[in-house]
Amino acid sequence: ERRLIPAAPSIRRLARELGVDIHRIEGTGIAGRITEEDVRRAAGQAPAP
Amino acid sequence: MYDVIVIGTGPGGYHAAIRAAQLGKKVLAIEADAVGGVCLNVGCIPTKALLHAAEEVENARKAAEFGLEFGEPKVDLNKLGSWRDGIVKRLTGGVQTLFKANKVELKRGFARFVGPKKLEVNGEVVEGRSIIIATGSEPATLPGFEPDEQGILTSTGALKIEEGVPKRFLAIGAGAIGLEFASIMNRFGAEVTVVEFMPQILPGSDAEVANLLARILGKQGITIKTQTKAVGYEKKKDGYHVTLEHVETGAQEEIVVDKILVAVGRRPRTQGLGLEAAGVEVDAKGFIKVNDRMETSVPGVYAIGDVARPPLLAHKAMKEGLVAAENAAGGNAVFDYQIPGVVYTSPEWAAVGMTEEEAREKGINVKVGKFPLTASGRAMTLGATEGVIKLVGDADTDLLLGVHIVAPEASDLIAEAALALEMAATVTDLALTVHAHPTLAESVMEAAEHFHKQAIHIANR
Ligand SMILES: Cc1cc2nc3c(=O)[nH]c(=O)nc-3n(C[C@H](O)[C@H](O)[C@H](O)COP(=O)(O)OP(=O)(O)OC[C@H]3O[C@@H](n4cnc5c(N)ncnc54)[C@H](O)[C@@H]3O)c2cc1C
Repeated sequence: ERRLIPAAPSIRRLARELGVDIHRIEGTGIAGRITEEDVRRAAGQAPAP
Repeated sequence: MYDVIVIGTGPGGYHAAIRAAQLGKKVLAIEADAVGGVCLNVGCIPTKALLHAAEEVENARKAAEFGLEFGEPKVDLNKLGSWRDGIVKRLTGGVQTLFKANKVELKRGFARFVGPKKLEVNGEVVEGRSIIIATGSEPATLPGFEPDEQGILTSTGALKIEEGVPKRFLAIGAGAIGLEFASIMNRFGAEVTVVEFMPQILPGSDAEVANLLARILGKQGITIKTQTKAVGYEKKKDGYHVTLEHVETGAQEEIVVDKILVAVGRRPRTQGLGLEAAGVEVDAKGFIKVNDRMETSVPGVYAIGDVARPPLLAHKAMKEGLVAAENAAGGNAVFDYQIPGVVYTSPEWAAVGMTEEEAREKGINVKVGKFPLTASGRAMTLGATEGVIKLVGDADTDLLLGVHIVAPEASDLIAEAALALEMAATVTDLALTVHAHPTLAESVMEAAEHFHKQAIHIANR
């Protein structure tokens, strides 16, 4: 069964492109929303300037 | 050698074929029957055409309430039939034009696997680096009610409205198809009964909202019997004598009807496809096993749409087609979307996300917000105030979890809810979005306000 991932489709796609499992990311946004920065951080990338 | 071969040109198949071509792949699409599949030929499109005509009949009658008298509407069933066919023709022709524009090759014939990546069509063998199976589904049968398309109909037979509106119509199954045909026949003057095995119509959907729709349809004159099964019939001079049985009490009754629609579900179409030759696995119900990338058990072979898994909906098949095509082209797409469901009765029913029951079962601290259309100015100006917007959310995080609607244009209203879920909107986000006034969509905003006990147009209990 599918659970609701608190991340927009473009964020979910970015996570796939960067090879990180979105399910393991702890969102830092309001209501636990996963942001682009959360994904980049999880991928070991420096946060965007 | 093709890069991608798509079997079936229904919503799933034609989406997959066009997207694969857009990504620069050499694509072959194979179609055994009519281009466009079930949805365009004998599903979504023709039913929506008939529903629209049926609703206009009802609207013409209702207009007397505000002083517009058209007299009793006369329906020319032959003309209606050709209008329906014209729309189907234009759309299916459109798919073929799109194929040409995108350089998708179309082959007519029944495809059968003769190897993991090899297919036989009309005695010819074609090979693809990737294969996308989009063979769709067909009506499930009900023992004792074998369709002959004369008196015992599948949805395909029921679409032939030019053959006459039955005086008494029975739909077995209160899913989308059963309810939509019940609405069509009711509006065109038939005496309509719907029987459903489960305790509610639209089984699996939010019970409160489904029960409201059942009450509204009941008021329109459709007799709905839940927890009831049709056990058999006897064909007599005056019609089909159908025996109905209450699921719990076992009490039996007999009703007499002229036509029976069997709408108890659909089953995946894999017969004769040679899946064994390819090594493609199916589950116990006959659906092709796929993962979120739409891959089957055989690398490079994908399955999408009705043949892959429920829900059996066109937009789900379409998006799965895009996912499969992108992966066949070397991408990394997964199907991780919310799938709205719609029933085009009037008022319409639409829902996306979790039901209240589902959310509770997951142990979520569930809260709901509701807004009845009786309090909507727009609904009043449309002369259609029956319905509700119900939001399900997480009381702890304020995240929106599901939206369930009975309203005119619910089919369009639900898109906002789907976007809200995709964007992980909170109920507050919905409430703070300025909705134009007067619109039906405002009711979504007001339901979000009610969630926080701050709706303006109702007492917040
Ligand atoms: C009456 C009715 C009303 C509906 N209304 C709606 C609606 O309003 N909204 C909605 O979302 N859904 C609706 N649906 C469901 C919708 O039609 C299906 O979900 C959708 O058509 C599935 O698309 P698909 O591409 O998976 O398969 P299909 O549309 O079933 O297409 C499969 C195609 O593959 C072809 N094919 C099969 N086997 C082979 C083979 N071996 N070789 C070559 N070709 C083959 C078939 O001929 C067919 O054209 C309705 C269905 C019905 C029956």
